[in-house]
Amino acid sequence: MKILIQMIAKIRPWIIVAVVLGMFGSTVASAQVPPRFYWKTLQGTNAVPVIAMSASGNSNPLDQSNVFDPSASVSADIAIAGFAKIMPFWNKAGMLAVLLPMGRIEGDFLAGGSASSGFGDPMVEFNINLIGPPPIMNLPDMLRYEPGFSLDLVVDVAFPLGQYDNTQSLNLGQNRWYGRIGTPMIWQIGPWIPDRRTTLEVFPSVWFFGDNDDFVGQNLSSDPTFELEAHLTRNFTSKIWGSLDATYTSSGDATIASAPTPGSDMTLAGFTLGYQLNDNMQLTFGYKSTLNNDAASNDLQMSTFMISLTTGWHRLLEGAGRLSGGG
Amino acid sequence: MRSYTKSIFFRSLLIPAMLGLFCSPLFAQQSGDSRPNIVLIVTDDMGYADIGAFGGEIATPNIDALADDGVRFTNFYTHASCSPTRSMLLSGVDTHLNGLGNMSEWIAPNQKGEPGYEGNLNHDVVTLPALLKQSGYHTYMVGKWHLGKDPDKIPAARGFERDFSLLDGGGNYWGMMNVSANSPRLVFTEDGRYLTSLPDDYYATRTYTDKMIDYIETNRGDGKPFFAYVAHQAPHDPYHLPRDERNGHVAAYDKGWDVVRRERLDRQIELGIMPADTQLSERMWFVPDPTTLAAMPRAVLGKKMELYADLVVNLDGHIGRLIDYLKEIGEYDNTIFIVFGDNGAEGTDLFNMIAGTPGTRDFLWAAINWSQTDPHAWGDPGSFVGYGPMWAQVSMTPFSQYKGWMAEGGIRNALIVSGPVVNREAGSINHGFMHVADIMPTLLDVAGTAYPDSVEGRPLPAMVGSSWTGVLAGTADSPRTDDDYMGWELFGNRAIRQGDWKLRWQWRPFGTGEWELFNLADDPGERVDLAASKPERLDEMYGLWEDYVAANNVIVPSRSVFESLEDQLPPRFPDDPGFPPLIYKRQFVPPGDMLAPPTGNR
Repeated sequence: MKILIQMIAKIRPWIIVAVVLGMFGSTVASAQVPPRFYWKTLQGTNAVPVIAMSASGNSNPLDQSNVFDPSASVSADIAIAGFAKIMPFWNKAGMLAVLLPMGRIEGDFLAGGSASSGFGDPMVEFNINLIGPPPIMNLPDMLRYEPGFSLDLVVDVAFPLGQYDNTQSLNLGQNRWYGRIGTPMIWQIGPWIPDRRTTLEVFPSVWFFGDNDDFVGQNLSSDPTFELEAHLTRNFTSKIWGSLDATYTSSGDATIASAPTPGSDMTLAGFTLGYQLNDNMQLTFGYKSTLNNDAASNDLQMSTFMISLTTGWHRLLEGAGRLSGGG
Repeated sequence: MRSYTKSIFFRSLLIPAMLGLFCSPLFAQQSGDSRPNIVLIVTDDMGYADIGAFGGEIATPNIDALADDGVRFTNFYTHASCSPTRSMLLSGVDTHLNGLGNMSEWIAPNQKGEPGYEGNLNHDVVTLPALLKQSGYHTYMVGKWHLGKDPDKIPAARGFERDFSLLDGGGNYWGMMNVSANSPRLVFTEDGRYLTSLPDDYYATRTYTDKMIDYIETNRGDGKPFFAYVAHQAPHDPYHLPRDERNGHVAAYDKGWDVVRRERLDRQIELGIMPADTQLSERMWFVPDPTTLAAMPRAVLGKKMELYADLVVNLDGHIGRLIDYLKEIGEYDNTIFIVFGDNGAEGTDLFNMIAGTPGTRDFLWAAINWSQTDPHAWGDPGSFVGYGPMWAQVSMTPFSQYKGWMAEGGIRNALIVSGPVVNREAGSINHGFMHVADIMPTLLDVAGTAYPDSVEGRPLPAMVGSSWTGVLAGTADSPRTDDDYMGWELFGNRAIRQGDWKLRWQWRPFGTGEWELFNLADDPGERVDLAASKPERLDEMYGLWEDYVAANNVIVPSRSVFESLEDQLPPRFPDDPGFPPLIYKRQFVPPGDMLAPPTGNR
């Protein structure tokens, strides 16, 4: 039995690693989903992401419709806390998550100077896998999991509950319902070995917006925004990975006080680095920026730094850790 | 010496009789250039029960087809480890005389420098390929040699006309990187030259097969028969396998080793491989009942067996390629196939033995080069997977123990012979007492050549085997009488078999440190030691052991790889199925009509 226990003990670390690798992804930023967000993990896993983000540009980074002012100068320091529960729906891998932004935003935007702080709009995300491996219901499933090609359906809904001041053009809350439907896809490239995992991830989605009937006293309506994200991710070691990230956004036309404002296109590029601190915690750092940041440009511009810490746990693995003296 | 001498005497009568058979219609085609080709396929560490023809669930259609065309032998013995088996295969002489009295890795202080204990195939013997080459055969070899690395010991120096050979005992299937820091590169030869690199697309089993086909093709049509020694490295650990061939048995072994072993024995009984009343050997005391394990360890340990099974499938596929080629060129019908595994399945964790101690040189070497331990990497270069004692016992169903030991699980293996010399019902099963040392006299008979008395003025030791020509021709059921015996000694473990009786001594705790006696006809699983109840039989068998020692220069080693094993394993207790009941108790379910909630809230 001792020999067998030794054999099993050897495999424990990678079990837990796999759980956390799947979970780190709950680092939902405001505008784009980070790489590896839709990797699957053991159903029943919980995760708490905490994200700190600093953004600057000529648009409100919390406004997915990308209403922008070419001459604006906006800066924001945002923290996002959340909770995610991995659970199956109709025998498909799935996830429910809630995310709550908070922080401060200020700048000269549209009608003038603005500064606000507080909570943003909470967002709920529902995710279900449509094509891909079966849900990871137990540890043997995890042992055999490889994404291959997988396609999910994602539905996000943001509730207009965040801080909102109708005298300002910049707010953390948007004072309107909005949400998105998307189909994130993952292509596994090569073997699914922790120190060599490579994926190409593509996420087309469409944001829909309700009207803000009190946008500095005016009515703001926005047509849907199309967004296409792409990530090429690769592990450098079993604990360190990186990603090249790109996002193309085509915003729909907006109407403010019956005055049409044409939509805009935006292309962001950047990178993400991830490091697994321990069996349960993942640290990531990312930077992305619009490609054209010429001050004289009339294009939408945005740059963001992001650092996140995600903690994941599963009662089975926590219990096993306690029994083995690891927790 | 008495029965052993009888064996030699019997053979001295048999050989002329068999030579006479060559004039019969059965062997008429063997005269002159129409002598049959010989393909000798040796698999490395493959178990008795792994292939379909011997009850395995692993799909081995190509090997099974040879069994369907030929005959299966259920009572075939090798040695307990690889190079001793190979030395007897290629010399016909007992290991203690041919240089493999001990493996080079474990020669004991009291054996060092003694003739017969060189650790390689010495020059006191003449080899089968040398004699076949002399008689007009092309002689080709691919695969594992493990009988010496010096220029005068390599395949080209021992009778092989063409070769592509791994001189080491096993290792990497993908390249030259070895597991041990002490000898970091595997050594290969091709046609007598030491290779500086391997072919770009090298994968052991595929390359060996390609090379053998190339050798045969090169000389095809020159009128000479060939002897092809295909010494596959597979399925020896590490289990290296192309990525796209690793998913043939997903979750197939989650049910655990006990169930698979039972299923294999049931099929063996159904096939007629084993008698209907055969009992499985006991599960080794340090291997848990898999039903008591959680799903995850069963899945992980099962995945190792999955990989092994996929590796056997791959091996069978490449054997099939060679067979198909021979059919394509019209040589299949005139080719004898002999297929067997070189010893019991491997239950020892070799990787841990070599590199398992942090801070050692080999550990650091492995950390750099052999640390792909994630299950998704199993099979890749840099991974080292062996399946452990539980699955080794499955591979050796229904026998006890595994490679390195003198229990049946260490030395008994599946044997298939097919081709023009077989005059038995196709697909039949034979239970005669066969031994790997028999192959050399058999093939010399097939080739119509004789074992010489001397070579270059040196007298040759007598071959210890008995030719199978009578058995294959259907005129005898065994090459041995009930008085003939065979003996084994390796690492200090010892055994004698005569008729249905077996005497064995093994290091504790696999053995008792005393002589044990078994009746294999009643007890192939070696569950009941009859030493105390059959003292006279024990004495007779011990007398045979003494004869064997005297006749074969046996020097029992003063040190052994197993000498400290008892300190590493838990105390040995018998495996009584269902004990202790505690771990098998299920949730009590009361009668439904007696269920009730508690009364009140306090």
